Amino acid sequence: MRSVKIPLAAAAIAALVLAGCGTTNERTSDSPQAGASKSCKGADGKYTIGMSQANVAEPYRQRMDDDIKAAAATVPQFEVKFADAAQDNAKQVADVENYITQQIDLLIISPNEAKPLTAVVKKAYDKGIPVIVLDRKVEGDAYTGFIGGDNVQIGTEAGKYIAEKLLPDGGNVVELTGLAGATPQAERHEGFLAGIKGNPKVKVIAAASGDWLREKGQAQMDALLKANPKIDVVYSHNDPMAEGAYLAAKAVGREKEMKFTGIDALPIPSGGIKAVEQGRLSATFTYPTNGKEAIAAAKKILVDCGTIEKSQTLPTRLIDASNAAKIYAEENPNG
Amino acid sequence: MTVQDETAAATPVEQSSGGVVATLFRFQSVFGLLAVFIAAIIFSPRKDGEILFISADNLANVVRAVSEIGIIAVGMTFVILIGGIDLSVGAVLGLAAVGSAVLMVENDWGFLPSVVLVLAIGLVFGALQGVATAMIGIQSFIVTLAGLQIARGLARIWSGGQGVAIAYGDGPHEAPDSFAILGERTFGGLVPIPVLIFAVVAIAAVVFLRVSAFSRHLYAVGGNEKAARLSGVPVVRVKIAVFAICGLLASLAGIVHAVQLNQGSPNDGIGYELDAIAAVVIGGTSLAGGRGSVAGTVAGALLLGVLNNILALNNIDSNIQLLIKGLVIVAAAALQRLRPTS
Repeated sequence: MRSVKIPLAAAAIAALVLAGCGTTNERTSDSPQAGASKSCKGADGKYTIGMSQANVAEPYRQRMDDDIKAAAATVPQFEVKFADAAQDNAKQVADVENYITQQIDLLIISPNEAKPLTAVVKKAYDKGIPVIVLDRKVEGDAYTGFIGGDNVQIGTEAGKYIAEKLLPDGGNVVELTGLAGATPQAERHEGFLAGIKGNPKVKVIAAASGDWLREKGQAQMDALLKANPKIDVVYSHNDPMAEGAYLAAKAVGREKEMKFTGIDALPIPSGGIKAVEQGRLSATFTYPTNGKEAIAAAKKILVDCGTIEKSQTLPTRLIDASNAAKIYAEENPNG
Repeated sequence: MTVQDETAAATPVEQSSGGVVATLFRFQSVFGLLAVFIAAIIFSPRKDGEILFISADNLANVVRAVSEIGIIAVGMTFVILIGGIDLSVGAVLGLAAVGSAVLMVENDWGFLPSVVLVLAIGLVFGALQGVATAMIGIQSFIVTLAGLQIARGLARIWSGGQGVAIAYGDGPHEAPDSFAILGERTFGGLVPIPVLIFAVVAIAAVVFLRVSAFSRHLYAVGGNEKAARLSGVPVVRVKIAVFAICGLLASLAGIVHAVQLNQGSPNDGIGYELDAIAAVVIGGTSLAGGRGSVAGTVAGALLLGVLNNILALNNIDSNIQLLIKGLVIVAAAALQRLRPTS
């Protein structure tokens, strides 16, 4: 008999699926917006903050978590929890859902991608949880505040530095770009072109994609070196690729002929600031993790019962031989 | 042949050995799921006296989060039952997610033609892999490793390397609202539609394995391919059909993925094949083929989902979570070794 009953059950469920069509619609059900005031319990409160990270396998994002942890340690009312989505949008959606279940007091999220995370961030925000979005945006305006860097501006600063400081009399530049299709890659390229405009003698003679990776940057540079007998500057979209390019040039004894610049300037031993300090890179440009700023914003919302700006863009800083050691020490006060 | 005979053929292990021990082993993953579920209730964080883990919202989240892996794992069970493996399912999921988004958003196709074409692509892709392994005789590990690369490449080409965002509405470059329903919740906003799709797939697969003659062929091929061939089982056809089903279900999971995330990205589903294989292994299906069940796989997928959820609710460090999940898979496989054979 079992074999008869089961198809019936299947049919019943199929019918239920059809019946389900046209019922609730999460996308259009707007609950009243929650202000910061509701979650604020002042200095006497205890607050649990959930941090949803896109992928801690990237050193930049591990540093972001570390910065948040360090900053939160100075606020006695705060306890921060961390989740890692390992670059999977679906996992990050589940991470945020779990934070909602835990009834956290504030959500910090650095989204893996904008579109897939928008709905669940809105769900948290609509439940009255203040949301601080870091580095990458979500769509719409269902969040409390966004804090990020400006990749166009960073590219422009790098372009100006190359056009004015490294190559005032002009020269040949090769560009090592990030992962094709990534927004920061497009913006760092666009900004760079604007930055070198002022000096028409600066020529971009070749470009290749190193996918943000040191080893890929090295392999691409091997080929670029063979194809181009005269290279004056390597403009890389991040520090690891610049380091890879340096290794490729060193392997053929040409590292002294050219200068290397990177972006990100992570204050970690394997990061760009150390590479500048040790002379491999001429300069790098900070891409802030915003971890410290995120906790400051959380404190403003939860403890001070204040409001924060909807969008906060942190400026980049030029790191060169003159300030590398000093800034590294500033960013790592405990050694 | 009577219904009883078919049931016996479909589940050849437990009938002869009998006894409590054999029953325990047979339903290993169901008991495992029960144990993990009870542990989750015990270790669940509480807020104002409410056990957060068993709140309706949270349980809905748990099953929603496993629905895609669950759908893939059902297809994977079929493949593993014939002694094969399919590494391409995550990439096929990505291809299907991209396909759904491109067809409905960029090409302004309707809901039904898009879904039918995407499912057909998965079916044909799987069938071709079946042909390569059954007729040319390349090991399925190699065939589907190549299939993984090919599906990923196709997804990148089709999408132009970018995630394709899905907006809903009647206008140009908007997906129809009928598609959006697949990502929503029903029964008072509680039961996610992806869960219902997973349930339908799982029940259909269980029924299929119970009542069809195909199921005897499947277990026969997995148990002893040579003997199956000699006794007249159409081994080649069975293999092609099994890989086709697996591809079809992977593309169904891709459609569910796209609608849940409002995007089809060529990077979707990376590593999902490993989660699906883990669910099958925890479900007690032997990687050597010929032994196992879809019900076990469903329990295995749910076990992984509950485990993920309770670790997250307790904010266990993500690195430690990886260790725990690895140990659970090893433990499940070890239990299988101890299982009495018929």
